[in-house]
Amino acid sequence: MTFSKHLVSKLRNLPLISQTLTRSLSTAAAATATAPPPPPPLDDPDSISMKGVRISGRPLYLDMQSTSPVDPRVLDAMLPFFVSQYGNPHSRTHLFGWESESAVETSRSQVARLINASPKEIIFTSGATESNNISVKGLMHFLRSSKRHVITTQTEHKCVLDSCRHLQQEGFEVTYLPVEKDGLIDLGKLRDAIRPDTGLVSVMMVNNEIGVIQPVEEIGKICKESNIVFHTDAAQALGKVPIDVQSMNIGLMSLSGHKIYGPKGVGALYIRRRPRVRVEAQMNGGGQERGIRSGTVPTPLVVGFGAACDVAMKEMEYDDQRIRGLQERLLKGIQDRVDAVEINGSAERRYPGNLNLSFRFVEGESLLMGLKEVAVSSGSACTSASLEPSYVLRALGVDEEMAHTSIRFGIGRFTTEEEIDRAVELTVKQVLKLREMSPLYEMYQQGIDIKSIEWAQH
Amino acid sequence: MMTVAPARAEILQLYRSFLRVARKFPDYNIREYAKRRTIDGFHHNKSLSDSSSIAQAFSDAKAEFQIAERQALVYSLYAPKFRSIMDIPNR
Repeated sequence: MTFSKHLVSKLRNLPLISQTLTRSLSTAAAATATAPPPPPPLDDPDSISMKGVRISGRPLYLDMQSTSPVDPRVLDAMLPFFVSQYGNPHSRTHLFGWESESAVETSRSQVARLINASPKEIIFTSGATESNNISVKGLMHFLRSSKRHVITTQTEHKCVLDSCRHLQQEGFEVTYLPVEKDGLIDLGKLRDAIRPDTGLVSVMMVNNEIGVIQPVEEIGKICKESNIVFHTDAAQALGKVPIDVQSMNIGLMSLSGHKIYGPKGVGALYIRRRPRVRVEAQMNGGGQERGIRSGTVPTPLVVGFGAACDVAMKEMEYDDQRIRGLQERLLKGIQDRVDAVEINGSAERRYPGNLNLSFRFVEGESLLMGLKEVAVSSGSACTSASLEPSYVLRALGVDEEMAHTSIRFGIGRFTTEEEIDRAVELTVKQVLKLREMSPLYEMYQQGIDIKSIEWAQH
Repeated sequence: MMTVAPARAEILQLYRSFLRVARKFPDYNIREYAKRRTIDGFHHNKSLSDSSSIAQAFSDAKAEFQIAERQALVYSLYAPKFRSIMDIPNR
């Protein structure tokens, strides 16, 4: 058990570091390690203190994959439906119901236009998670007498994987396709996995953790040839990359409102009509939304979702160009000053607004603790509650230490150059500070191959 | 029906009002976006020559301006207690 393993595993235990290190610590670390923090001034107007962290203002937001701010144009479209036009769209007998229904139908066509579908093929749900549940479980339950097999990937969103696990418990068979080192699936492996009783292939369009774009057109073509329904989770892709359900041969698609600057709590399911895809409803009730999803359609949220899709259609090109430039700036800024940085996922086939980096020889938790002024995430929001490294990174073959130090930067419509520069500065500063304290990094700089060391047993 | 294109002075007036409203947003990101998008939007349409497309672009911009006016007010009413770290000088 050596000194360095001691350091890496107990980095949080600051007094231990100050005892074991013989070099002098940087002044900031020394101050926090030895002296207790001074009591906060009673009337500090510019200081927020939460969970033991004190920062002088709201952090800059670079976590667009977990959620996005609501665009003012979207909020403007939603407010009248909270204030005066509050009717239930299913009330057929009065003006409140009629105007609410009309607004819902307008939104439906706005969503449909963004993906080149017919409005009749859009069902509003509570979000992409619900749409994924309806797609996976609803479709397979409908086909339970003829189809017993589902193909999906190891990097899907937790809701798809969990729904597949649920199906496995019911007796269905599921193939989890592995991904290559760049995060993309191998089309040959997909073809080999197809059986006569395969009912569904589910591959997400843009991954939420690493941002890679799967070859959706090719997958759609393979599914069409074998007459299998193709489901794709397009929550991260909608409004960011062009989607065409006709050319991509998509049978079912999950959409989410709060990833495209719309409100939280609303999403949609695209369900093809020609050839007709049928699913069993997961929410039973009054038969709303063509019987597929009962429950009152939340008019203000749906109006917001429609407005967000409308704005996205107009702004897609402008946003894409800008975000591409910002990603290059971020990547170049970090790579110019820090070495041993790796991009997780394909560098070419990726959505530019998602940059997932791993910093070698840096401990992940302490890196995040030092980045409190930047709102970023490590692993996806769904898995960050547990301590195990992200399953997506594990599926890519990233080793555990690198998976722990991964940071996901999410760039969006409202991100500015100054925010990127500040994020670069803060990240580089923290990484360099941690690397200075890392004896493993020192060995790496001397040219020693860490993996070839034989650690002595004490 | 021949739509009359707005005069150059009218377009410039809308441009300046738009930038003035954009500056009123208390949220750092929305404010910067509104300023940037206005400048880029008007610049992009500078080269339009056909009068009906100029009139269309002008009326679109006017509608967006009215949205921005309303939302600048709403965002001010609900401005958070602490500003963004980007708005705090010398940090």
